[in-house]
Amino acid sequence: MHIKSFLNQHKGITSIAILALLIGFLFALPRLGLRVYYMHILIGVFIWIIVASSLRVLDLSGQGSIGHAAFMAIGAYTSGILSKYLGWSPWITMLIGIGVTIIIAFLVAIPFTRVRGIYFTMVSLFFGIGVLAVNQVFSKYTGGYSGIGSIPLLFGYNKTPYYYFCLALMLVCLGLMYRLEHSRIGLTWKAVAQSHTVASSIGINEAWQRILCFGVACTFSGVAGVAYTHYYALLTQETFSFGTSINVFVYMTVGGAGLFAGPIVGTSALIIIPELFRHLKEYVPFIFAGILLLVLFLMPQGLAGLPNQIRRWYEQHSKKTKPAEPVDEVAKRAA
Amino acid sequence: MLLEIHNLTKNFGGLMAVNQFSMGVAEGQIIGLIGPNGAGKTTVFNLITGVIRPTAGNVMFNGKDVTGNRPHTLASAGIGRTFQLTPLFTEFTTLDNVVASYYLHPRSSFWGAFFNTPTYRSNEAYVMEQSLKILDLVGLSKVKGERAKNLPHGYQKMLGIARALAVQPRLLMLDEPLGGMNTDEIVFTMDIMAKVRQQGMTILVIEHNMQILDLCDHVVAINFGQKIGEGTVEEVRGNPDVIKAYLGEQNAP
Repeated sequence: MHIKSFLNQHKGITSIAILALLIGFLFALPRLGLRVYYMHILIGVFIWIIVASSLRVLDLSGQGSIGHAAFMAIGAYTSGILSKYLGWSPWITMLIGIGVTIIIAFLVAIPFTRVRGIYFTMVSLFFGIGVLAVNQVFSKYTGGYSGIGSIPLLFGYNKTPYYYFCLALMLVCLGLMYRLEHSRIGLTWKAVAQSHTVASSIGINEAWQRILCFGVACTFSGVAGVAYTHYYALLTQETFSFGTSINVFVYMTVGGAGLFAGPIVGTSALIIIPELFRHLKEYVPFIFAGILLLVLFLMPQGLAGLPNQIRRWYEQHSKKTKPAEPVDEVAKRAA
Repeated sequence: MLLEIHNLTKNFGGLMAVNQFSMGVAEGQIIGLIGPNGAGKTTVFNLITGVIRPTAGNVMFNGKDVTGNRPHTLASAGIGRTFQLTPLFTEFTTLDNVVASYYLHPRSSFWGAFFNTPTYRSNEAYVMEQSLKILDLVGLSKVKGERAKNLPHGYQKMLGIARALAVQPRLLMLDEPLGGMNTDEIVFTMDIMAKVRQQGMTILVIEHNMQILDLCDHVVAINFGQKIGEGTVEEVRGNPDVIKAYLGEQNAP
């Protein structure tokens, strides 16, 4: 009981301590003798967490996108092509890749954010497909279907530096996204999502805020894209296809789009759990689908909302006997 | 005149929602805009605040022509408004509703939030303090942590006013602030309107509830999109056209 009351009193400190432990554990993993294969999986998890979380940033302003991987592709291909064909250092081309993503994201946002809701989602889908088409048109450079390979690596063939780099990148990105969401900017985005008429009545330039949100979200996606390129060294048509965008959307939704931890939990669960059953080979998609259905039917707030859900369920059931009493009293008084 | 409207007209297809409507609002006054259901009162509000564009006519605010400006520019020019039906950010808490409404004063800066600058932090603290003050004024401090959609109707209306006040407008436009309120709440709301006026704000109010007339310096009556009467409360009360609009032909004196 002592521990429980202590935890309740110092909720902030406890959660920071748990978070610090978790991050410390992740940083210590390679030294604890993590197998190279699992390190590879975790690097992927870190990258996709950035993408799924950035999709959630876009979702804050009420804009659901199913073409988010396209912006990852723009960053990835820019950086990959520049470093491969011009021989520039990956560090420079990564920055250029992010820059190009920012420019394209904002240019595209101006027409795209004129439509809302499901129409925006459709437009985002078309953009995703459009980027793939461009990829094929310029197949001389992008490799088209077969893709572009042997892109210069960032740190050579040892996986450990990539692990630390991607982990640090993810933490920085998540930190910035968390800060934005909990600032008044994040509040403004959420306000725009709820009612654009009310939002504009208090002076919010609703169109600009949605452009800003789109630009920021796509920038983070581009950041993940450039990190992806110089680790995997191979980009194909498949990598950033429509399926990828849907996957990212599913990571976010299964984890719980309403919570900051949602995409983080969702991505981790949906990449790591199927990986654990890898020996089942062709049954892996069924496991993926099984998790999906379970979450959709049983967890309205997603995987990350599960602790809250359990707590509420527990509270309801422990109080179950109480609400009956006042009704009895009313009955007595009436009699 | 703080706000001047000249021959404002709005045509929805064949329907004349507002027809050649003119009125003026002098600084520091409370002006009532009354009329039966469907008279075009809310349309006039929406035309003034830029939610819809007028077919003809113009709106001058503070000496500048603001006809057809977008709602957010009008808000930064100094027009705050409430809504009749969907007044709130329903998912936010009471407090967040007001904090979000402080968007303009001081302006929330993206890079400030990104890098957590000292200016940004002091602004944030200032906004929190001011929001709590406004909640105190409208008597909602006790429910500041509740979600807006869970509040009782009267509180939601009050929160709508609190939100409009956070914009720090020169002209406050209230769309049926008393609608659906009980007697205590009506007295309380009118009390706040009087307080706000004392602070130098001008108020333009649409209302069905005739109790509001006690507060108004000047009343404009509208029916079928046209002005049918204007003047002090007594003048409008005695205006045969107004009585006809409300009570019908036979009862007119």
